Amino acid sequence: MNTKMNFEIVENAETFERMLARVKEAQKIYASYTQEQVDKIFRAAAMAANQQRIPLAKMAVEETGMGVVEDKVIKNHYAAEYIYNAYKDTKTCGVVEEDPAYGIKKIAEPIGVIAAVIPTTNPTSTAIFKTLLALKTRNGIIISPHPRAKKCTIEAAKVVLEAAVKAGAPEGLFGWIDVPSLELTNTLMAEADIILATGGPGMVKAAYSSGTPALGVGAGNTPAIIDDTADVILAVNSIIHSKTFDNGMICASEQSVIVLEKVYKQVKDEFQKRGCYFLNKAETEKVRKTIIINGALNAKIVGQKAHTIAALAGVNVPEETKIIIGEVESVDISEEFAHEKLSPVLAMYKAKNFDDAVEKAEHLIADGGYGHTASLYIHVSEKEKMAKHQAAMKTCRILVNTPSSQGGIGDLYNFKLSPSLTLGCGSWGGNSVSENVGVKHLINIKTVAERRENMLWFRVPEKVYFKKGCMPVALDELKTEYNKKKAFIVTDSFLYKNGYTKPITDKLDEMGIQYSCFWDVQPDPTLANALAGTERIRSFEPDVIIALGGGSAMDAAKIMWVLYEHPDADFESMAMDFMDIRKRIYKFPKMGEKAMMVAIPTSSGTGSEVTPFAIITDEKTGTKWPLADYELLPNMAIVDVDNMMSQPKGLTSASGIDVMTHAVEAYVSIMATQFTDGLALKAIKAVFDYLPSAYENGANDPIAREKMAEASCMAGMAFANAFLGLNHSMAHKLGAYHHLPHGVANALLLTEVIRYNAADVPTKMGTFSQYQYPHAKERYIEAARFAGIQGKNDDEVFENFIKALEELKDKIGIKKTIKEYGVDEKYFLETLDEMVENAFNDQCTGANPRYPLMSEIKEIYLKCYYGK
Amino acid sequence: MKLEKVIAVRTSKTIYRDGKYAIKVFDEGYSKADILNEALNIARVEETGLSIPGVEEVTKIDGKWAIVTDYAEGKTIAQLMAEDPDKKDEYLERFVDIQMEIHSKTAPMLNKLKDKMKRKISQTGLDATTRYELDSRLESMPKHNKLCHGDFNPTNVVISKDGESYSILDWAHATQGNASADAARTYLLFWLSGDIDSAEKYLNLFCRKSDTAKQYVQKWLPIVAASQSVKGKPEEKEFLMHWVNVVEYE
Repeated sequence: MNTKMNFEIVENAETFERMLARVKEAQKIYASYTQEQVDKIFRAAAMAANQQRIPLAKMAVEETGMGVVEDKVIKNHYAAEYIYNAYKDTKTCGVVEEDPAYGIKKIAEPIGVIAAVIPTTNPTSTAIFKTLLALKTRNGIIISPHPRAKKCTIEAAKVVLEAAVKAGAPEGLFGWIDVPSLELTNTLMAEADIILATGGPGMVKAAYSSGTPALGVGAGNTPAIIDDTADVILAVNSIIHSKTFDNGMICASEQSVIVLEKVYKQVKDEFQKRGCYFLNKAETEKVRKTIIINGALNAKIVGQKAHTIAALAGVNVPEETKIIIGEVESVDISEEFAHEKLSPVLAMYKAKNFDDAVEKAEHLIADGGYGHTASLYIHVSEKEKMAKHQAAMKTCRILVNTPSSQGGIGDLYNFKLSPSLTLGCGSWGGNSVSENVGVKHLINIKTVAERRENMLWFRVPEKVYFKKGCMPVALDELKTEYNKKKAFIVTDSFLYKNGYTKPITDKLDEMGIQYSCFWDVQPDPTLANALAGTERIRSFEPDVIIALGGGSAMDAAKIMWVLYEHPDADFESMAMDFMDIRKRIYKFPKMGEKAMMVAIPTSSGTGSEVTPFAIITDEKTGTKWPLADYELLPNMAIVDVDNMMSQPKGLTSASGIDVMTHAVEAYVSIMATQFTDGLALKAIKAVFDYLPSAYENGANDPIAREKMAEASCMAGMAFANAFLGLNHSMAHKLGAYHHLPHGVANALLLTEVIRYNAADVPTKMGTFSQYQYPHAKERYIEAARFAGIQGKNDDEVFENFIKALEELKDKIGIKKTIKEYGVDEKYFLETLDEMVENAFNDQCTGANPRYPLMSEIKEIYLKCYYGK
Repeated sequence: MKLEKVIAVRTSKTIYRDGKYAIKVFDEGYSKADILNEALNIARVEETGLSIPGVEEVTKIDGKWAIVTDYAEGKTIAQLMAEDPDKKDEYLERFVDIQMEIHSKTAPMLNKLKDKMKRKISQTGLDATTRYELDSRLESMPKHNKLCHGDFNPTNVVISKDGESYSILDWAHATQGNASADAARTYLLFWLSGDIDSAEKYLNLFCRKSDTAKQYVQKWLPIVAASQSVKGKPEEKEFLMHWVNVVEYE
């Protein structure tokens, strides 16, 4: 070889600093190279290293006095060719990944200067490997060779650098320490940007404690198990092939072989037949004392021939002996043969059974090979044993029927294991990586994430039928479309006794559909109530459930539907709060396998016929389980005002103002969309226009009734998709603590919550990608204008909106304050903090445009209690 | 001071007894700094409350530097072991207990063991490869701050006549650092004295009593062997090198 590059000799701190400055400078230039330039340089450098593989191998053996030239040639060849092949098409510069739809981009950047600590066992191949990785990743590299292998290590780096420079790389991109010392190695490790440390545990530890991010590898102590189902000839010859490779200096190489009793003799015979030497008792003792001195590996045996090592121990073996094998029993560290030997010396153990073998292997790994490699020879149909072995080995590579030296470095005996000469040992080995080190460990990835909006949806029942008198027509489909046989009606006693179910049963009779009826739904239905209905459903086994009534009956029917379809339903999980309904932890079970759900409202309020919500109270604990999932959407909603004509005044009032609250909250929700907006606006206007008359005139104004019925359903669709807000959170708790009808509770809070939300400078706003800035006030004004409310400027429109709502409440007989409803002041104040916290924690709070503080909720409650 | 009764002769120093004092007289040419350091070491160890002969005076006698200390009455453990071989194990146990008593003390002003080892490695004259291995090994060892005698062997512990009290001599090599290094040194000193049986017994005893893994003490052996080689007894060289020449690889 005649490399020509000449740099100042690096031998002390001063020369080191100059070299470091040079490499840094060159790396800065190299960092701007394009992928094309880099790939060209990478290829040229790999070619050059490959061409010099024989001279470099010779140099390494000559200088270190260890290993086998021919095997080192393979290692050099591998380091050049396999690394090039593995990474030739890998993107390492600039944008390496992009997905415009998701707005995500990954950009690869070099790290800077790599400190490469290179051991004596694989000096040239490791140098080729690390320098090629540096070139591919646009990093500079400074090599700290081992004093025993400095010449060949530096020469290998020079070969790569010269070719790289010829292909266009900046000249000073690599550096090395010519006169290695621990001081300079430490300085290098402290000053580099990342450390690629290959070496003894001491060196790896120094790397990790330097304060610089480090990729280090550790010691191996690979145990190979030969199961009694293994192909013994393949196993033994693979181990010989691996253990003799470069005289056993690959760290993944087998140190012990654990053979099952049944095949022990067969294995031993095969080893002998293939030129391995079994030591007798006395010889074993001599070799013991030679290979390990005071628990440490004798430097003189590393990478030597079996014959040489035997001679050192005063044991005479044939010159061409491949491996010397000691048959030993203890796997404890006090047994010299149980150590890593880095030479063609192997320990052989006899195992009583597979479990015993695995236990021995575990112990040997604990002796000094945590995280490295384990090997198993077995028939691959022995899945159970293999699983047991995989579970027990604390190693990052588990090789099956594979010579471990060649197998561990990857791409030779398995083509999905990355080729590498630096094998991560995971946290078990005190490493930061557990896989074979490659280019991805030497680049920084910048992730550019652009703002994107969530996918939204609009989900309503498949069929929504409306118009006065539509019910019998719609119910026809149960026969004509669905061919249902058995219907189960869920309703309350008032409706049942007053004949509201009759038009339905008449129709069912006409169609020849059998039916049964549960008419005992109570207001705010309890779990016991729902279970009673479920009993009936189970015994009747309907294929359609018809819910007739207000919110309570429809909610109860939904719950019975769940219990009928999924008898083991767990309400606690189903009611688990979520931030995003599509990311919730709990997966709601599939509905509709046994029966479809038809919902027929008899009041214009809840919109439950088109919503995915249902609330049930556990009467034992008092807990309310609010269920929410689109699985709970009825399959058919029938909004027929004939069912609603004779609602009492109180119900008209409370449920009517509930519609307004639904629509207003859905309109300002952070999840509001164009789709829900249209529905919400129309509902708001309809309530303003028709609720007073529906309240005053009842059945005498069928138009008002019908408009309110439709408004209720439209508002339901809006909030089924845009969800609600703080008004409902607070009303839920106010209603629960102080027994106010839901609609009334909403009405009492309505204008105060609007004022609160309308702040231009809210304390916090809701978190949702679509919600760009606080704009609740604009939205209220839009809604007001749509409803026909005027004003000379926005502020006036807003004030008039509030005024209009107060007037509406007045017209329908809603009192002004919570106090006026007879809520005891002392009790109210006593329960206030608890109520505040529960309201804050309500599922509805998440969609509110202003993210509330608990103190703010408290203030609203107080204002609404006293009316200022 | 009367230099009449010679009680010991060591390389470049002679120790006399004068009544209740022991006088260590150094040959001419002995490093003044080393002598003063030894006296300072004694003074510092005295502050730990350990039972040792206190330093009384540092002086010059007939132009030679001398350290005057209290005289420790009694026999050394080495003498006792030789006189009563049946009780050797018992003495060894006492010996280990005393060493552990030393290790329970701290002396924050003493030199650091790792610094001393590092300096010794650089003075060995070993080749660069071996020094690199030793330096890496030393660097990876944990830094502790226990009082270490540095030459703890049975000739340096005196037991009183009644067997009740003891006194620890010769603090020239005292440092603060890792107790296992101190134990490794003692183990090596047993080997060098040719008493391999006691060496093994000692190591097992020390590891058991101090709940230390044997490998942990053994990890120091190449380092203490290298530092021992600096003292340069030619007949020990080959043996020491055998212990030094080990590696820790991937």
